[in-house]
Amino acid sequence: MDVVCCPLDKADLDLDVDERDDEEILAGTLTCTECGETYPIEDGIPNLLPPDMREEAAA
Amino acid sequence: MDPHSAVDPQSTYDRIAVHFSKTREYAWPEVESFLDGRTATRALDLGCGNGRHAELLADRADAVVGVDLSRELLREAVTRARKRGYDQTASFVHGDAATLPLATDAVGLAVYVAALHHLPSREARVRSLDELARVLAPGGTALVSAWSTAHDRFDREAGFDTTVDWTLPGGETVPRYYHIYSPEEFETDLAESALETVEAGVSSGNCYAAVTVLDG
Repeated sequence: MDVVCCPLDKADLDLDVDERDDEEILAGTLTCTECGETYPIEDGIPNLLPPDMREEAAA
Repeated sequence: MDPHSAVDPQSTYDRIAVHFSKTREYAWPEVESFLDGRTATRALDLGCGNGRHAELLADRADAVVGVDLSRELLREAVTRARKRGYDQTASFVHGDAATLPLATDAVGLAVYVAALHHLPSREARVRSLDELARVLAPGGTALVSAWSTAHDRFDREAGFDTTVDWTLPGGETVPRYYHIYSPEEFETDLAESALETVEAGVSSGNCYAAVTVLDG
């Protein structure tokens, strides 16, 4: 997963882990080192959609 | 955008993900033959759906990333990878094909199969081809496909926008937006993008192109 980047400016992301299961990151946040936009990791799947395409709390 | 409109493939595929995935068990033969003999350090399945082609790529690359707009389809992809034992090789990311969250020159091999036709404007479709070119390393190769006017169910020469219903068990129908490509238009959009077409053709009613990016 070292290939993911910010969808907007393609800059690197900093990872904050909230929940981990062995090697897999289940929940956390990716933060763009350039623009500061944050992207959630939910159920092990990073949500790297541009912010205006996120479906807010679909549940 | 209206979240329930057919033009929004995110909500459309979230709704039909479980049933849709069951009907997409097998890789397409055109993808198998394209991948025959090809390997890469890192590979991409763009518009991966349930990951059936990520599975093929997992045999040919050290790492595979699958990108899709539907979180529910990505859940199917993660479950499938675990069941079939390629979850150590393949990882999945929720993203937009026209705004890819992947580093420049990141992959040597990619498939972008049966997804381009869901992007709701020509501008977005060409932009997604440019994004594929950006993440493809120089000399890397990709297979791009889209549904075509050459398919038996269509009786038109020029490309057009349409909706095609998906029927869920129980009979409920969910409309899905498609841009149906004429083969000429498919090649024009590829030529407009930063991709170089190596070979293009039609098979089983779909347009296909093997593409690359040149050095520099």
